[in-house]
Amino acid sequence: MKYAFLSILFAFTFFVSCSDDDSGEIIEDPIEAPMNYTFERNGVSTVSFGGQTTRILMASEIVGAFNDFDVATETSVLDMFAHSEGSDDFENTDLNASSKNVRSKTAASFDYFNSNTSESAAIKNTFDTYVSTHFSEVVPNRNTLAEAGVAGQIAQGSSVRYVTAEGLEMNQVFAKGLIGALMTDQMLNNYLSPAVLDETDNRENNDAGITEEGKTYTTMEHKWDEAYGYLFGAAANPENPLIALGEADGFLNKYLDRVDSDDDFNGIASEIFEAFKLGRAAIVAGNYELRDVQAMIIKQKISEVIAIRAVHYLQSGKTALQNSDMGAAFHSLSEGYGFVYSLRFTRNNADDMPFFSASEVENFLTSMMNDGDNGLWDVTPATLDTISNEIAAKFDFTVEMAAN
Amino acid sequence: MQRFLILFGALAFMLVACSDDDNTPQEDIDSFNRTAMLENWADNIIIPGYDVLNNAINDLNNATDQFVAMPDATNLANLRAAWRESYRTFQKVSMFEIGKAEAVFFRARFNTYPTDTATLEAAVLDGNYNLELPSNRDIQGFPALDYLLNGLGENDADILEHYTFNPNATKYLSYLRELVVELQTLSEEVHNDWTNGYRDTFVSNDGSSASASVDKLTNDYVFYYEKALRAGKIGIPAGVFSNQPLPQNVESYYNPEFSRELALIALQSTQDFFNGKSFGNNQTGPSFKSYLNYLNTIKNGEDLSQLINDQFDVAQNKLEALNASLVQQIQQDNTKMYEAFDELQRNVILMKVDMLQAMDVNVDYVDTDGD
Repeated sequence: MKYAFLSILFAFTFFVSCSDDDSGEIIEDPIEAPMNYTFERNGVSTVSFGGQTTRILMASEIVGAFNDFDVATETSVLDMFAHSEGSDDFENTDLNASSKNVRSKTAASFDYFNSNTSESAAIKNTFDTYVSTHFSEVVPNRNTLAEAGVAGQIAQGSSVRYVTAEGLEMNQVFAKGLIGALMTDQMLNNYLSPAVLDETDNRENNDAGITEEGKTYTTMEHKWDEAYGYLFGAAANPENPLIALGEADGFLNKYLDRVDSDDDFNGIASEIFEAFKLGRAAIVAGNYELRDVQAMIIKQKISEVIAIRAVHYLQSGKTALQNSDMGAAFHSLSEGYGFVYSLRFTRNNADDMPFFSASEVENFLTSMMNDGDNGLWDVTPATLDTISNEIAAKFDFTVEMAAN
Repeated sequence: MQRFLILFGALAFMLVACSDDDNTPQEDIDSFNRTAMLENWADNIIIPGYDVLNNAINDLNNATDQFVAMPDATNLANLRAAWRESYRTFQKVSMFEIGKAEAVFFRARFNTYPTDTATLEAAVLDGNYNLELPSNRDIQGFPALDYLLNGLGENDADILEHYTFNPNATKYLSYLRELVVELQTLSEEVHNDWTNGYRDTFVSNDGSSASASVDKLTNDYVFYYEKALRAGKIGIPAGVFSNQPLPQNVESYYNPEFSRELALIALQSTQDFFNGKSFGNNQTGPSFKSYLNYLNTIKNGEDLSQLINDQFDVAQNKLEALNASLVQQIQQDNTKMYEAFDELQRNVILMKVDMLQAMDVNVDYVDTDGD
């Protein structure tokens, strides 16, 4: 609540300085965001993000397949990840018919990877490796009790977790890493990027209301909606997605809800939703400055969600370690590992770079896994605190706020 | 940005100033003798409880030996009686999931239900299984014994057939044997840990931090009451957490006439522990109750220990009004299960919120995020 209040103050300050800049101009009808994410042209909806919904559903099935021991193999899961149209990879036959896949959009944003294909390829390979490690190291040991240096199963309360010899749960690493490499990267660094929104003659077409061939939307409208789809595309009511927030998927939607449910950050979900609506309304009105201001709000807030969850899991892992509850510790730290990995895909409006570079993220992960010979079996509370503090230092939240 | 920080600072200052006004620091005046309470818990309740459990499981082990040597109706009846007695005793110590019990996942190893009968049958036939694996918790312990002693057939003759003329009879006998040996091993391990040093560790850790004995065992106790008793024995089978009732999740499902009794013993044991009542006699010592009464004299609040004891009694009455078979109760009139659940739930609030607040103990568990 405190957080929300300060954000409003901050936004207000910003608003005042904006209108100062504009003074002298005649202000026409102010652009207002609609109640819901509903936009129409001639009475027909112009909102479309089917491709994003499809990829979220694919990602859910992929993550679910990791521990489907009777059915899944390394090959079958890699095939799901790099699905090709018509292949019988998924249980959901609609997904099989789709020409889309998850892998090609992993670390594939225009801003970060268009001229950085070597890193893009390396990141895609990293996700392949998560799958391979799971099936070559963990699955054969699934009926072995995990211990330091030995992959196998470990209890967390009444749940059974399957970890590598270093204590990592690869399905968690994959899922939480994908929140950065797919959802966040596509949203912040691709579809909300002026370079993508304003590509070629998008502005002219949008100003003139020229829609894509056979579609109801302009290209720019559609790009914005695709960003929206990576957050809300699997919601039961995508036009009003804050109802039942967190139930749409196990990715960004879920963790926005988790952060929003923390009193320290309550309100962040509606700030993001409002920015999406106002930015979309600004596109309809042809006000690209307002559009980009909203995009910047989303970039900052989504980056915060990633950072808050990274710190949250490192801290809950630390607490579990101190209680000698290794199962709970590994589960939290595996989620934390994935969220730390995702930091490389965040977006700092100050320099249009990630809040943490690839090498900084690599250093965090290396330090997590290298306090001893056996990865998370040996990680110390001090290491987890150091990483948590370094992450929180770049944002307006404290480690304590994220931890609870 | 600077202005933002200043505002933040001002707000934080106001917040601090406010809480200064409101509160007299209660740590300074809480000089309740935690050591004496820990001694009463360890010496008069916990260790005697594990003594009795150990003996009961020894009896179970002997009855199992006799049954394996001669699987007949008499020995089956004796074995069932020994199983019931040790299951009853287990209900009295299951809340003490601390120290070695916590390390070996005592409650999960002894009492994960419902049993996965398909996996159990496969393990019996295969003969190659590891009872230490977390994924095998639902094929061992008292619930698995329930299945082996009460659930293998329609009647006693059918059940005995599995241990006599059945081509896999030796495999069933050997699996039964293994399960009981495992319980004996675990029970001795926990008991010996308490008597060989852990008792002193436990008592001397008498501070008031998150890792102190009082804070930890209080959390274990409330967790047990909320999750294992309220939810496990009543709420989950009644369908409070699902779309439909789940009668197959009743404790002692294959001998369902025993299920209400187990729940009642568990509830009585949590109330006895609350009041610091010695194991096996009516003497009482320092306890949650006396701690709350002590705090009451200095804070002049409402009589929380009386409220909690009254609520225990109400819940006890609700449980006693249920059919001895909770399976039948669910099938015939599930509303009564819900009513019992509601009364159990009221004490979750009184203990988890009010009692912990009064004692200045933080809850150290949260519901997992479901992934």
